[in-house]
Amino acid sequence: MTTQQDFRGMPTPVGRPVPPSAGEPPAPRDHLMSPKTQAVLKIQQALVAGARELLSSEGAVELFQPLIGPVTDPGARGAKQVDVDYYGHKYKLMASAILYKQASLVAFDKVFFIAPNVRLEPLETSSTHRHLAEFHQIDVEFAGATRDDAIAVAERLVRQAVRTALATQGDALRVVGRDTAKLEALVEQPFEVLTHGEVLDRLGRPHDQGTEIEWEDEELISGGADAPFFIVDYPKGSRGFYDKEDPARPSTLMSFDLIAPESCGEICSGSERESAYAKIVTRMRETGENPAKYSWYLDIVRQGIPGSAGFGIGLERLTRWVAGLDSVWQANAFPKLPGVVSP
Amino acid sequence: MSTLRAPGFPEQDVRRRAREGGASVFPAAGEYGVTVFGADAAEPRDRIDAYRLVPPVFMPRRLEKLIDLGREPLYADVSLESSFGGFDAPLPLYLSALGSTRVAAAGRGLAGQAGRLGLPMVIGENVAPVSGFRSDGEHRALLERIGAYADTASGGTGGVVVQQSTEDANAEVWNHVYTDPSVLELMDSGRLAFELKVGQGAKPGLGGLTMVDEETSHRLEGQYAMERFVPGGPVLRCSSPGTFTAEILRQQIHLMRNNYPRARCWVKLPPGRDVAEAAAVAWRAGADAVTVDGAEGGTGWAPGVFLDQVGLPLGECLRRLGDPSGTLLASGRVHDGVRAVKVLALGARAVGLGRAALVAVDEDPENGLVRLVESIALEMRFLISALGKYAIGEAGPEDLWDPSEPGPGATRQASSGAGESPVRAGEREVFA
Repeated sequence: MTTQQDFRGMPTPVGRPVPPSAGEPPAPRDHLMSPKTQAVLKIQQALVAGARELLSSEGAVELFQPLIGPVTDPGARGAKQVDVDYYGHKYKLMASAILYKQASLVAFDKVFFIAPNVRLEPLETSSTHRHLAEFHQIDVEFAGATRDDAIAVAERLVRQAVRTALATQGDALRVVGRDTAKLEALVEQPFEVLTHGEVLDRLGRPHDQGTEIEWEDEELISGGADAPFFIVDYPKGSRGFYDKEDPARPSTLMSFDLIAPESCGEICSGSERESAYAKIVTRMRETGENPAKYSWYLDIVRQGIPGSAGFGIGLERLTRWVAGLDSVWQANAFPKLPGVVSP
Repeated sequence: MSTLRAPGFPEQDVRRRAREGGASVFPAAGEYGVTVFGADAAEPRDRIDAYRLVPPVFMPRRLEKLIDLGREPLYADVSLESSFGGFDAPLPLYLSALGSTRVAAAGRGLAGQAGRLGLPMVIGENVAPVSGFRSDGEHRALLERIGAYADTASGGTGGVVVQQSTEDANAEVWNHVYTDPSVLELMDSGRLAFELKVGQGAKPGLGGLTMVDEETSHRLEGQYAMERFVPGGPVLRCSSPGTFTAEILRQQIHLMRNNYPRARCWVKLPPGRDVAEAAAVAWRAGADAVTVDGAEGGTGWAPGVFLDQVGLPLGECLRRLGDPSGTLLASGRVHDGVRAVKVLALGARAVGLGRAALVAVDEDPENGLVRLVESIALEMRFLISALGKYAIGEAGPEDLWDPSEPGPGATRQASSGAGESPVRAGEREVFA
């Protein structure tokens, strides 16, 4: 018995219960009672503990992310935002903490949030093994930091999180069948940094102006990697307005992704940020956004926010890689695959 | 009887086409044998109307077709099949966006007929933010139009193009459509496109203008500017036109291609003085098609001075665009086959029907558009074959004569002598 309905192949959204097919979440009770799920959730808890430990040791303050707000991160590829009626005003469920992270830097130099985010991803992403409509993110932002600083923090954070999982969750890692020696070897070596152009060359893809790396290609290059690695210098036109354009190289963003090996693909996105008001408004237009929607944020920016760099790590994606899972839904107690109605 | 009027537009001609289909291409049948006809001396309305299509006497392409067919080619041998902006179509026509005005309540009927014809259909801005995303009891909501199209579209040609303007971005029209299960079939068959609306023909430089009732105005207040002229009367809702620079346009197109990789990318330009530069930016950034709306186009509400005195007419837009480096689509008072063929000869890959489509469904909600398109198709076949050509894409500037300028033939003879020179008696070919 399942309560799930799959709308993906349906011409209109009317309910149709379908049995879980291979590679899709089982009924909620079965999922929760599965020893594998339980082991995965314990590994995840250790990853979060390791991340908190690292960030606290670096002096970052943990803040709680608002659930709703007048606007949210528009930077998600093709994903729909969720509207909430807030006393007659249209509010959004948070898609990431980015706007609040930048604003919070007027209070603290280093901040982080660990919180759920909602993105109604395109239906085609239900088969990527790496998209959930509701997921959790470790969102980090440091004032005065450069992109290289942020990359270094992300590397330390992932290493610390994995070390904590290895140190405290040996049993759970055994239950999921993870080769811990291999995992340790993967995470203890320095993470390489490649440019977007170098990745396209390795893939044999043309340098098409302003385009992202396809998800399939990302999985491919991830499969051939010996360790986690960073991709830097994404072209403008593929990211949110808050990612800083390199003043020395127009059209190139000072952004980065962290790619996990073993075909897991991207688990973290970050950047040095735009902090100049006029630049942010112009970039909003370039990303098709109406600045009027962002008035609370722009008011703060206009009065001055510090330059910063930061990133968001997808917790389920990190967990999927560390636990050696086939799919990201296995790293969530109540997974929501795009287009699948679930608890 | 409907109250729809289209002043300044050949409304009666379109109504007749919507009633009679192919027969309307000729004078009324009752005139046959009793009336003699000649050219109408009326002044041409614009540059495109002033052009004449001028068939040559010698037709090497017709000879090729004759050899191909093994018989003399006829107008019926002209292929109108077209491919533009990522879609296939049975003829080089698409349905332009009709906006959200009350007139466009005909949208659903139009969508059904466009689907039957297999013609691409653009759904205008504001349909979602004003009329709602799903049905709100009126037949205007965006998905209903898409549904009406998809329900009747069977041939695998055509497609739906969903427009989004700067202020529509608030309503996230594209994100909603892209994630909605009801568009999956169109998306899977490559028949979904998104059109970035940079501006419009009837009021270049202004955003969308719609009259709404008081209740609706309260719902939309804060999001749009409102003008109240008469207490208790309808309220004018004014959108912002959006701010564009070359970089903003380029990056918005990149974003569309990255965020909606399974939808084609169209860009609609207003008839601005830098239309050629803007089109070039759009094509370079990867737009599958650029639509240009002449100042004579448009179906929506606009200040009178904008209709009469602002923006480039389509003919001048096409002149400035020259030989386009990408797929160019054009609209502006297209209502018959000859204007369509002229616009194609001037560089467009397909032409949009706006007011003509509205008048046609007003005349006959069930079949008006189908008959209008039949009449245009028949005229196009007659015209293209008369030019000695047999595919719609072959019409070119050499087929046009501009009465205000010396024709290409005259120029050639005068300057280069490349044409045949007069034959003197002693040079005639002698037959034994």
